[in-house]
Amino acid sequence: MHPRGATLVAFCDAEGGVDRNRRIAKHLSKCEKCRNQLRRIQSEKDKLSAGAAIPAMDSKRGLAGMLSAITAWQGSPTSGAASELKGRLRRQIETYFGSPAVLAVERPGIRAEELLGKASQILEVFLGPNAAEAVRDDVFRGLDWAGPAGETRR
Amino acid sequence: MTRKTSLEGIESAPRWIVMFLGAYLVVDLLVFYLWSAAGQVFSIQGTTDSTSALSVTGMAAVDLWLCLVVLRSFPAGAPLRPAWMLFTLAAAARAASGVLAQLLGTNWLLNPLVWAGHARSGLIEQIRHCALIAGGPVRLALLAAAMLAVLRIMRRFGFWVRPSATDWAMSGIVGLFTLCRFGEAGAASLAGRPIGLENWISLAGLPILCVLFLEAMLLRQSVIRMGNGLLTRGWVALVCGILLTGAGEVALWVIPHYSQTLPLAMFGALIQLPIAAAFALVPAYQVAAQRRAIKPASSSPEGLAAGVPALAR
Repeated sequence: MHPRGATLVAFCDAEGGVDRNRRIAKHLSKCEKCRNQLRRIQSEKDKLSAGAAIPAMDSKRGLAGMLSAITAWQGSPTSGAASELKGRLRRQIETYFGSPAVLAVERPGIRAEELLGKASQILEVFLGPNAAEAVRDDVFRGLDWAGPAGETRR
Repeated sequence: MTRKTSLEGIESAPRWIVMFLGAYLVVDLLVFYLWSAAGQVFSIQGTTDSTSALSVTGMAAVDLWLCLVVLRSFPAGAPLRPAWMLFTLAAAARAASGVLAQLLGTNWLLNPLVWAGHARSGLIEQIRHCALIAGGPVRLALLAAAMLAVLRIMRRFGFWVRPSATDWAMSGIVGLFTLCRFGEAGAASLAGRPIGLENWISLAGLPILCVLFLEAMLLRQSVIRMGNGLLTRGWVALVCGILLTGAGEVALWVIPHYSQTLPLAMFGALIQLPIAAAFALVPAYQVAAQRRAIKPASSSPEGLAAGVPALAR
């Protein structure tokens, strides 16, 4: 049986007791639908807390700041998070395919998001979509990464 | 990123298969040693006429079950699904062949056809032939088709390598063996000696075995290009299974030409289980890799899956 939305919110906030959370975590390990719902809840929570944290600013200045941040991110593809992401992806490819496979997937100077796309594709084909998604989650765990579409993972 | 070795759960299937195979080989070799030491005073019984032994049928059933688990993880439209579908059908053909041959294809007390008085009607013989066809040419054809699908995917991802001289030489040996078998059958036919249906069934599988062997050589090259990862171990097992099948066929044909004293039935039994185990290891390694992905090393000791927020953990 799928847990209700309110239960998942409580789970997100680490409320509801250890046993209950363990049961929900066990269910989440098997249920992609609930994992997606949990992710949605988490991202909404993140957005809300980000909205609350950022002080009101001038829209022109805010836009300029955002554009300069994008430019800075695009200009420095080997930033800390990007290189960490690349390292993690390399390790995953090595684990599931082997070291020579990394050379086949990664060409010199490849951007992190490009490597992510390639690695995701190869993992999805050979490992299956659910397992590949779990690998992606593992790669992003604890990583401060702002993807090209503005997607932020923590 | 260390993880403890465990024999629990479906992800430990490769270890169980290897352990069972090791125990079986040790017992088999011990019996062979005792038989040789005792001056071959007692007879060694093997299964009749190349049908699968119970242990081989059991391994084929494990193979089928693991294939079904893997097949479920590849939804419709996934590139590798057709290949896994064919691997599953090949495993099903082997399991069905074993069950038919062991349960309905032999004159033994637990065969319901024997109770019903069909023992002399030729039905049992027909069932046994069906079992041989399913476990022989049909299974090999399914495997060859599955291998082709896998090789196409490998090529798409840049793991394709042209066959080397060694690959051609190895495939040539099996090709030569096939020609010898056909030549032998042709000569027997010309001399007026009858060729049994079982021989024809065996001969029908040989051209497919040649194709399969070449595919195995190509897969071997692709696997070398990939490396030694969790997923590639399954493909290595597949290559080993096909190589052992070819080597077993060649050995079972060559040995009687040089020695009449060696127990062929025992050699047949000795080679059949490693082959079945190698094929069972293909889905077993795939399942192990998938389970590892779903339960990463960085997760909590309870093995909670990905997707659990750090806060909640």
